[in-house]
Amino acid sequence: MSTSSENIAASSKEAGADEYYTYVEGVGNIPRDIYKYVKSDPLGDLPRYSYHIVIQHFLTFITFLILAATGLTLHFASLWWAPLVMKLFGGPDTARLIHRIAAALMVIASVYHLITIIGGTLHKIMTKKFNINRTQIPLIKDAHDMVHDIKYFLGKEEQRPKMYKFMYKQKLHYVAILWGTFVLVSAGTSLLFPETMATIWPNPRFGQDLARLMHADEAIMAITVIVFWHWSNVHLVPGRFPLQWSFLTGRITREHQIEEHFLEYVYNLKEFPEEREYMKKILRENGYDTN
Amino acid sequence: MNLTRAKKICFIFSLSFLILISDSVQKTSFAADIGNCLLCHKYPGLSRVDEEGRMRLFFINESIYNNGVHAKVKCEGCHTDITEIPHKAAKKVDCLVECHIIEPTTETKFSHKDVATFIKTSVHGKVDKIGNDKKFSEDYPSCKDCHDEPLYRPLSFFKKVRPGISEASLGRCRVCHKKDDFIYQFYNHVTTRLHKSRNPLNIAEMCGRCHDDSSLVTRHGLSTKAVFSYGETFHGKAATFLDERVPDCLDCHVNKGESVHQMLSHKDPLSSIHETNKGKVCATIDCHPSASPKLANYGVHSEFNLTQSPAQYFFTFFFIVLTGGTLLPLMGIIFLDLVRRFFPHATIGRRK
Repeated sequence: MSTSSENIAASSKEAGADEYYTYVEGVGNIPRDIYKYVKSDPLGDLPRYSYHIVIQHFLTFITFLILAATGLTLHFASLWWAPLVMKLFGGPDTARLIHRIAAALMVIASVYHLITIIGGTLHKIMTKKFNINRTQIPLIKDAHDMVHDIKYFLGKEEQRPKMYKFMYKQKLHYVAILWGTFVLVSAGTSLLFPETMATIWPNPRFGQDLARLMHADEAIMAITVIVFWHWSNVHLVPGRFPLQWSFLTGRITREHQIEEHFLEYVYNLKEFPEEREYMKKILRENGYDTN
Repeated sequence: MNLTRAKKICFIFSLSFLILISDSVQKTSFAADIGNCLLCHKYPGLSRVDEEGRMRLFFINESIYNNGVHAKVKCEGCHTDITEIPHKAAKKVDCLVECHIIEPTTETKFSHKDVATFIKTSVHGKVDKIGNDKKFSEDYPSCKDCHDEPLYRPLSFFKKVRPGISEASLGRCRVCHKKDDFIYQFYNHVTTRLHKSRNPLNIAEMCGRCHDDSSLVTRHGLSTKAVFSYGETFHGKAATFLDERVPDCLDCHVNKGESVHQMLSHKDPLSSIHETNKGKVCATIDCHPSASPKLANYGVHSEFNLTQSPAQYFFTFFFIVLTGGTLLPLMGIIFLDLVRRFFPHATIGRRK
C-alpha cells in the first residue's frame, strides 16, 4: 500500500468538507459519522505522538504548572493567599530557586522539541515522506475548516469538516505556544541577569520595564489560555472527559481521530492493514458496502 | 497561745507575705515606674473620649513596654508636665526633651535633639535652606509620624539560626557584669542597633503612610506613589514576603553611614540618589558588587500609567487586548462546540 503524500492529498480532494462518503481503496465508502459506531480503547487505538513528543509535553506541563504557581504567587504577592502558597514552596528563596530550575527544564524541553521537529522534518524530506498536511504549519485549509466547524456547531451543516492530523485548534495553540515560549524565555532571561542586561539594553529602564511587563502579562495570558482553552478541549468537552490518555500513551482513540482528524484516519487506514479490516467489519455490520 | 504571741506570728506572716508580693511585683513591674504610674495605667480599659471625639487609650502593656527601647526611661522623663497623681490631661510628649538617662560616652543627659538638627536640613524638614516655612509645611512628618514605641530586635550571633537573645552570649557577659537586668538591657540595645529595627516591609509601610497618600503626592508634585511602585518591583515583592535582605526605602535614599534623618532630595548633589551618585547605590558590596553603574538606571518607581510611562502603558494595553482577543473567540468556539454536543439537533438558520 502506498503511503505517499500524493495519495493522501488526492483522498482529501475527493472528500470535500460537504461530502458524506469518503472512498478509501481497499475499504470502501466510509460515511463521515462512522465514529459513532466504532469501538475505542480509552488508552488509544492509533499512533499520534512519538515518545519524544510525549516526553516533551510531560516536561512542559509539569514545569508550566510549577512556573505558574511560583510566578503567580510572586506577581500577586499582596493578595491574601500569596504568603500561604509561598510558605508551601518553602519561602521566597526556595520558590525563586524552584522557578529558575523549572524554567531551565522548560527551556531544555523546548530545545529538545526544536531538535526533534527540525531533525524529523529533515529526515522526512530526505526519505521523501514529508507531507505538509500532517504538520503544524498553518494552511489556508485550516481557515476553511474553522469556518465549516463553526457552521457545524451552529447547526448549519450536518458533519464536521474533514481535518488532518492537526486541526485549526491545535495549530492556533501551537502558534501561541511558540510565541509564548519565545516571549517568556527572552523576558525571563533579561530578568534573570539584570546586571548583564543593564550593560546591553540601549535604554536600561525601558528595556527592563518591558521585560517585567512582558514576562508577567504573557504568563497570565498563557495561564488563562491553558486553563480555559486547552483544558476545556482536552479534559472537559464531552467525549474527552476526564482526560485523554494521548499525553502519556502517544495514541489517540479511533472515535476521536475519525471525528476530528478524519484525513489522518484515512492516512492510518493506508498504513495499517488491521485497521482496514476493522473498518470493513464495522461498515458491514452497519449495512454499508465494502471492497 | 496568748493574744500577743498570736499577733506577733500574724505580723511575721503578714510581713513575709508582703515581702514576697513586693519581690514578685518588683520582678514584673515596669522598671522605670518610680512614680507608680502603672497603679492606674495597668488596666486595659483605661481610656476616654477626648475633646475632638477620638477614643484615647491610656493602657500601658507592661510586658511590651519592658521590651522597648524606652524601658529604662521613667514616665516623668517624657511626661514632664505631670507632677502629681491623679494628674490632669497631659501635654503631647516632646521627643527632644532631655531625659534622666546619661549617655555613657559624654556623661551628659540624653536627648534626641541631634535628630531634630538632621531633620531640619533633610528633605523632610519643615523649613527651606533660608529658614522660611516650606509650602504645605504642615504635611512634613514629625517624630511620631514615623516612630512608634520601638521594640528590641536582638540578634543571635552564635548559631545564626534564629533572632533573639543568645544565651551563649549572655554567659560571656556574666563573667564581668553581675546584674542580669543590665546585661539584658545592654545586649538588647547593642544587638538591636546592629541591624534595622524594622524589616523592609514595615519601613515601606511607614513611608507609604505619606508617600502613597494620593492627596499628599499630588499636593507636593511627587512623580509617583513611591511605595506602591516599589511594591511592583522584585525587591518590593520579596519585602512583602518578609525577606529582610532586600533593599527598602532607607537603603537607597540615605547615604551609607548617615542617619536616616539626613535623607536628602534627589535634586541635592549630596543625595545618594542624585543623578551623579545613584550609580553607586546598587553596586555596593552588600547588593550588586560587580554591577555596572547603569544598573541604577532601571525603573524602581515605575507605575506604568499613561502619564508617567505612556509606552509601557500601551505595551500593557496591547497584552490585555491580545489576551482578550485570543481567549474570547476561542472560548466562543468552545461554547458553540458544547452547545452542539449537548443539543445535537439545535440549529440556527437552515441546515444544508
